[in-house]
Amino acid sequence: MAEPQLTVRDLTVRFPTTRGVVQALNGVNIELEKGQMLGIVGESGSGKSVTAKTLMNLLPRSAEVEGEVIFEGNDVRKLAAEGREHFWGVEMTMVFQDPMTSLNPVKKCGEQIAETLRYHLGRSKKEALEEAVDLLGQVGLPDPAKRVDQYPHELSGGLRQRVVIAMALACQPSLLIADEPTTAVDVTVQRNLLNLLDRLREERGMSMILITHDLGVARGRCDDVAVMYAGRIVERSDTETLFSDSRHPYTDALLRSIPRIEQPSHTRLEPIPGRPPELINPPEQCAYAPRCRFAQADCLEAIPESQGVKGMHEFACFHPANTDRGREALAANVAAGETAAGLPITGYAGGAA
Amino acid sequence: MAGTGRAPLRDDPNVLVTVTDLEVEFPVGKGAVVHAVSGISFDVAEGETLGIVGESGCGKSTVAKSIIRLNSIKSGSVDYQGHDLAQLEGEALRKIRPDLQMIFQDPISSLNPRRKIRDVISEGLAVWGDEQGSWSQDRIEELMLAVGIDPKFGDRRPHQFSGGQCQRIGIARALALDPKVMICDEPVSALDVSVQAQVLNLLEDMKQRYGLTLLFISHDLSVVKNVSDRIIVMYLGKACEIGNADELYENPRHPYTRALLASIPEPAPTVDPSDGDIEGELPSPINPPAGCRFNTRCRHATDICYREEPVMQQVGDQDHYFACHHPVEVAVGL
Ligand SMILES: Nc1ncnc2c1ncn2[C@@H]1O[C@H](COP(=O)(O)OP(=O)(O)OP(=O)(O)O)[C@@H](O)[C@H]1O
Ligand code: SF4
Ligand SMILES: [Mg+2]
Repeated sequence: MAEPQLTVRDLTVRFPTTRGVVQALNGVNIELEKGQMLGIVGESGSGKSVTAKTLMNLLPRSAEVEGEVIFEGNDVRKLAAEGREHFWGVEMTMVFQDPMTSLNPVKKCGEQIAETLRYHLGRSKKEALEEAVDLLGQVGLPDPAKRVDQYPHELSGGLRQRVVIAMALACQPSLLIADEPTTAVDVTVQRNLLNLLDRLREERGMSMILITHDLGVARGRCDDVAVMYAGRIVERSDTETLFSDSRHPYTDALLRSIPRIEQPSHTRLEPIPGRPPELINPPEQCAYAPRCRFAQADCLEAIPESQGVKGMHEFACFHPANTDRGREALAANVAAGETAAGLPITGYAGGAA
Repeated sequence: MAGTGRAPLRDDPNVLVTVTDLEVEFPVGKGAVVHAVSGISFDVAEGETLGIVGESGCGKSTVAKSIIRLNSIKSGSVDYQGHDLAQLEGEALRKIRPDLQMIFQDPISSLNPRRKIRDVISEGLAVWGDEQGSWSQDRIEELMLAVGIDPKFGDRRPHQFSGGQCQRIGIARALALDPKVMICDEPVSALDVSVQAQVLNLLEDMKQRYGLTLLFISHDLSVVKNVSDRIIVMYLGKACEIGNADELYENPRHPYTRALLASIPEPAPTVDPSDGDIEGELPSPINPPAGCRFNTRCRHATDICYREEPVMQQVGDQDHYFACHHPVEVAVGL
């Protein structure tokens, strides 16, 4: 098999802070084939954005990074050390949740795109502006010839995000990383933006990493989905399998906790108890153990390694959901009334509490 | 008056709050006004949860705030147990205010950061007096337990709690005044998915335990359906559709309701994906379209939609009303 376009191996990121060292990423592994759309889902603080920023070389200097990031044969961290500024923004680009992260409020939209083209690709001023109009048209901005002369504040949030997408695509990247690109917009706008990204990705054969906390977005749009928890990818597989036959108890619990449109009103939800762990001095145990309904004694003694079929369906858990081992663990906990971590589970596992 | 009609108002002795022809405008300088809410009528029965759903800027929060007089009302009435809240002033308003409490989207910043949470929870009692006679440390502890915060943390300050815990504290603070009606404005939108369900279940439990009537505002269609008995769908200051939660999602009649249900990442099975193909941008509420406000984006719009504002009409004899000249026909159920 050909090398994947992107390989992330054992990525670890630590932030020294006054309260202690934050272990933001603890051995993240990612493989991405060319043209693929990978979704990364997880709660606030799980490490989605740190992963993206590491790829984009946007971490603060204080960050301590270990591990490998290989993109189309290049060691990305070496490129960073060599100061290769025409890699980011050209080969690999990023779209953020807030379009104003990328836009300059006092510059016309067209100029900003043109600047990208001039800086990275050495286009003349005139060429660059013409291309900008063309790009704005490609991202579905109505009346692009007029929009190039508008300032960001003259546009709605959805249109601004389109300008940012145009800018990210200007230099024909082969990987686009989008970090919660539609979290701040309404559902009708979200649908249009995601449709646009789908179309552009197909037309250009571009790969994409879509970071989202919205499981529905990942399910609807991605080929593969990785679930992050406490700085690790705890489960990854093709989208269909992840949502229909999940293995990690966290994935399983997340899917049960969200209200679904087809359920009748007042369906009792099954929340995940507790909250995500501190990332300072985490204990040597499964990070999900304190909240996990499956947890057994072994979960408190070691960090589970990734298992399953590499590149197909991988998960890091000693007692995976939807397996005999998982069912046994759950039955034992229900019988005991609590998990090995002391989480009461009577009346919880059955649903209606 | 440019109302979308009073058809959804029920003649039912259990109705606790009735909002009639509510209009709210905000001046934005140079003589311009934002038409935030332009003639909405609805009611809420005791013990019911009414959901209000719609996209940003449609007027959801303005409706909620108008009820408790957090913004001024241009016209219309808000009847609560025989009082028109829109007209009440001074002592009369002060007496009733504790009955209607509100919790907000941003749990952390809605709590005073300098106070101990024990004092945060009792702060409404200090403001609104202790007429319920419920002010005591026991009561505060009971509320903390009820919302799942260990009373031994009563001396901590809000920043020492997570977002989900702060929302619980906000709920306890609202409950301290023994309210009849609780208005929840996007109470779970800022929370992680795993914590959202905890807070939604808590609200449901508190509703049962304290006999509350809820107004629940959210942009999330699945969340709104889960908590509500009835739902109002709003667009640009108007109500498009009102009805029983299950019925409304099962047989959505208004093109905008259908657009919403088709636009969510996992579209509702009751609509066609093409229902989500709505064109263009949200018009400015400073200069909303004449006729039906959805006409600039609606696939079904014809001349009449640009001329005449549609009025709320009932679907058969169901608890289901819509305001549209060309409602989408749905196979009549079962
Ligand atoms: N510059 C920094 N200094 C210290 N800690 C940081 C820094 N950047 C991120 N972190 C920490 O790293 C962890 C992972 O953060 P990250 O932003 O990747 O989460 P996320 O999954 O993107 O969350 P969200 O859904 O809220 O965007 C968090 O604990 C965060 O506080
Ligand atoms: S079963 Fe054990 S290893 Fe698996 S998620 Fe639960 S606590 Fe972690
Ligand atoms: Mg993030």
